[in-house]
Amino acid sequence: MLPFTIGISQILVAAMGVVVGIIFGAIPGMTATMAVAVFLPLTYAYDLETALYLLLGLYVGGISGGLIPAILINIPGTPSSITTTFDGYPMAKRGAGERALKVGIVSSFVGGIISLIALALFTPLLSAAALKFSSVEKFLIILFALTVIAALSKGQMLRGIFAGFFGVLISLMGMFSVNNAYRMVPDFMRSKMQDGFQLLPVLIGLFAISQIFEEAEEGMRFKVEKMDNGTSSTEKFSFADFKGQGVNLIRSSLIGTFMGVLPGVGGSAASILAYAQAKNFSKHPELLGTGAAEGLVASEASNNGLTGGALIPLLSLGIPGDSTTAVLISAFMLQGIQVGPLFITQNPNTWNTILVALLLCNIIMFVCMFYPIKWISKIIYIPRQRLYPVIIMICIVGAYATKNGRIFDVWALLIFGIVGYIFGKIKIPASCFLIGFILGKDLENYFIQSISASGGSLMVFFSRPIGWFIWLLIVASVAYALWDNAKDKKKKAAEAAQ
Amino acid sequence: MIQVVYSTEHWIVPIITMGVLVVLLAAIILTEGRARVQEGKPFFQKPGRFFLENYDKMKLWGTLLLFAGYIFALDVIGFTVTSLIFVFLFNVLYTGTSKKALIGSAVIAVVASLLISVMFGIVFNITLPSGMCSITFADFGFTIY
Repeated sequence: MLPFTIGISQILVAAMGVVVGIIFGAIPGMTATMAVAVFLPLTYAYDLETALYLLLGLYVGGISGGLIPAILINIPGTPSSITTTFDGYPMAKRGAGERALKVGIVSSFVGGIISLIALALFTPLLSAAALKFSSVEKFLIILFALTVIAALSKGQMLRGIFAGFFGVLISLMGMFSVNNAYRMVPDFMRSKMQDGFQLLPVLIGLFAISQIFEEAEEGMRFKVEKMDNGTSSTEKFSFADFKGQGVNLIRSSLIGTFMGVLPGVGGSAASILAYAQAKNFSKHPELLGTGAAEGLVASEASNNGLTGGALIPLLSLGIPGDSTTAVLISAFMLQGIQVGPLFITQNPNTWNTILVALLLCNIIMFVCMFYPIKWISKIIYIPRQRLYPVIIMICIVGAYATKNGRIFDVWALLIFGIVGYIFGKIKIPASCFLIGFILGKDLENYFIQSISASGGSLMVFFSRPIGWFIWLLIVASVAYALWDNAKDKKKKAAEAAQ
Repeated sequence: MIQVVYSTEHWIVPIITMGVLVVLLAAIILTEGRARVQEGKPFFQKPGRFFLENYDKMKLWGTLLLFAGYIFALDVIGFTVTSLIFVFLFNVLYTGTSKKALIGSAVIAVVASLLISVMFGIVFNITLPSGMCSITFADFGFTIY
């Protein structure tokens, strides 16, 4: 017997996931997170392994599809392909669209594979270390996750932390499991909010419904100018484009993977950092931004590098690396499987399946995009105003099915759609809120366990060497945030002075 | 020292979190206010406009109303018929009432709601909202919600 699950139905499901993911990724405004969230209810009918093939397919496809509109119409399909527009669009404009697309696809594939290797190597190590964690360290790790948000929300440090803790507060609504007492819930809502708001409606509301509100406000006027020169190429793609790009490929993939490991850091931060590094190390930095393959490689390798990276903390610590993996948590929860330090030892088959599925999805992504790219790139012309009504319907199905059929969860979907819309207006990062919301209940449990065991003394959080190490990380991330903020301000002041 | 008392321990973390939020809020107001003062503006500034200039009132509020109406109707009418009606209405809201757009809206509404209803409700056996237009075929063991 194989140490993992694979079969015809899994391969088909993965292929479906990748293709749907590419479509979501390629349509500007629709993201990989949205794809995974919308299709999660479909997995209720599957076993966990098959569900993982679908969800990982959506994830890989969703991140990869973003390069198509980025290159052809200068609009990133997903936030993480923002840097792809810098060099991709100039290439398309001078008639090398197909070459640009293929460079992007190959880089995406390499990024995905490198991050897969990192996932396979580091998850067991991190899990082993995390096994030694008591509730004190687990509490501190979550606290660390919340401060990392701050370190990387550029210029938005305070708002980022605020959103994170606000998410924690909202997650605490409902009944506390130790003494079965309610808090922050009006009496008449108790029967419905025993365990607060469900993750799925909150998530789809924040990331899908709020988006629809935003675009409704803008009037849903999408005009996509047809680009003819996008694929009628004078420059042909060849693998010689990657000559001398080896270091760039690996460096960018690893940057993506590393940024993926840090909770709450999205693909856009990863690709911007990788692009900046590619520019720093480039022999011809002046060419980047004018249509150099080098920049494309950096951007696409890093945003696909994110996929494996974001799964590392999810599977080893139970902390999602980004908003898409946050949705994956609910897939595991639905099947009654706890992600965390014991995950690999208790579910070796599932763990192997994840690696195989991720490999398969990357290969399918490559095959589905590389050869038929001319036809696939037509996706960007699908009118979104026709898709959104259907998306709304699927979101409602998903929310309703969360707890096996409650209309309350559908109302929660609408409420968080409005909340997400308002967040966007007052510049509160919804992804930080979500990380806080997901980790809030654990944060509370570990905190209460820790201080109960110590008889109420807060010194327990400073009592063990592993704890000190995590404190060090927390202090470092806050210090970095402050330093980065100050640097940003200086730069802005210097620009203003000029 | 924090005493963990059984009857009140459910409030320990929420209260600490609220405290942290208040501190953060104060910090946000202070730093942003100070930044404004440095730029020569007053500490408090009138908040900018919430909605976009000339925003599409019809589409934004229409989306909200249709969404709420959709949820209300789900429990009463049942999933398939409600979806058919509201997917059509959303389509009309977003694409207008020209003849071509209306035909497109109708086709999308019928195809999409039947497809989703059959795929989720029957093939995947997921519970969908049921109401007066839901039909159960007991002999065949499935329900069209």
